[in-house]
Amino acid sequence: MEAVASLDQDAELMVRVREGDDVSFALLLERYRGPVVHFLFRMVQNPSVSEELAQEVFLRVYRSRATYEPTARFTTWLFRIATHLALNWMRDGKKEKGQESLDEQAVDGVDRQVRDRQPTIEQEMLYEVKMSEVRQAIEALPAKQRAAVLMHKYEELEYAQIAQALNCSESAVKSLLFRAYESLRSRLAHMAG
Amino acid sequence: MNCPTGKNEVAEILLAYCAHTLSPLQTAEFEIHLKQCADCSRLVAAQKEVWSALEGWTPGPVSNNFDARLYARIAKDQTAPAWQLWLRRIFRPPVPYPLWKSAVPLFAVCALLAVGLAVRMPDSSVLHPQLRADKIDIEKVEQTLEDFDILTPPAQTPAGSM
Repeated sequence: MEAVASLDQDAELMVRVREGDDVSFALLLERYRGPVVHFLFRMVQNPSVSEELAQEVFLRVYRSRATYEPTARFTTWLFRIATHLALNWMRDGKKEKGQESLDEQAVDGVDRQVRDRQPTIEQEMLYEVKMSEVRQAIEALPAKQRAAVLMHKYEELEYAQIAQALNCSESAVKSLLFRAYESLRSRLAHMAG
Repeated sequence: MNCPTGKNEVAEILLAYCAHTLSPLQTAEFEIHLKQCADCSRLVAAQKEVWSALEGWTPGPVSNNFDARLYARIAKDQTAPAWQLWLRRIFRPPVPYPLWKSAVPLFAVCALLAVGLAVRMPDSSVLHPQLRADKIDIEKVEQTLEDFDILTPPAQTPAGSM
């Protein structure tokens, strides 16, 4: 699909990777390292596992460079691989085994943020409670709803892209998102004010 | 604008409005509606709250050695024996939904067709009796020629050759 390739710079980079240009791979890695790790972190809620899965995502991208065809947007393909790996990991019940202290990591995140703004201990605690609720609300969602919300909210993928990543129809994605946001509204709406 | 509450598109408009993906015209239209509709206003307020709560969730930074670890894995991967690469392609394909999965239904249909044809295909001699007749004729001709050879006396050798 030449049209897709011409519209999608990332797909063009990946085509160059296919032709043996490792610099293009480094550019793609630079661009998507963060988004992929963060997406996986929010999916599996485990920092070390999310990095491990992200490594597997990029490894698979590199391995399949020879057969790559830009038939869809690069991000669609990338998040499709990431989603697949995350869903498999969750399905295989590895969560219990590899559960590292998410709270520990989350507190690290809070520490990192709050040092800049110098909040009071009270604000810090309030923020942590709020984030804990957000994490729990996301974790409570069924796996596919969770993936759909994360791709929609944080990665800003279109319905069609999410549909391709989840291997379902666009209307199914809309349905997943509506139900997911409904659950989130009922769990998180009390945070107003 | 008609109230989208209770209709299928309510969530879609609402999500698009909160994600700022509605066109300026649609946004203006929806905001006029929001002033008149308490149900939609409540939904939008709740959705905005969810949106801002999610925005606050920022994961930690990626490890400094992420790339180094990845390139080490790639290097190790490239020195793997060929048979390992083949096994990996079969059992752990790079794309989530490997091509062989889509080939399974096609293979099943082909197999069914083959079985169906084998069961229903009549003997060719029934369809074309003349083929069988031809076969018999050829056999007869061959047999006749053999008989002829047997019956034919060997050629006499010249007397001088003895």
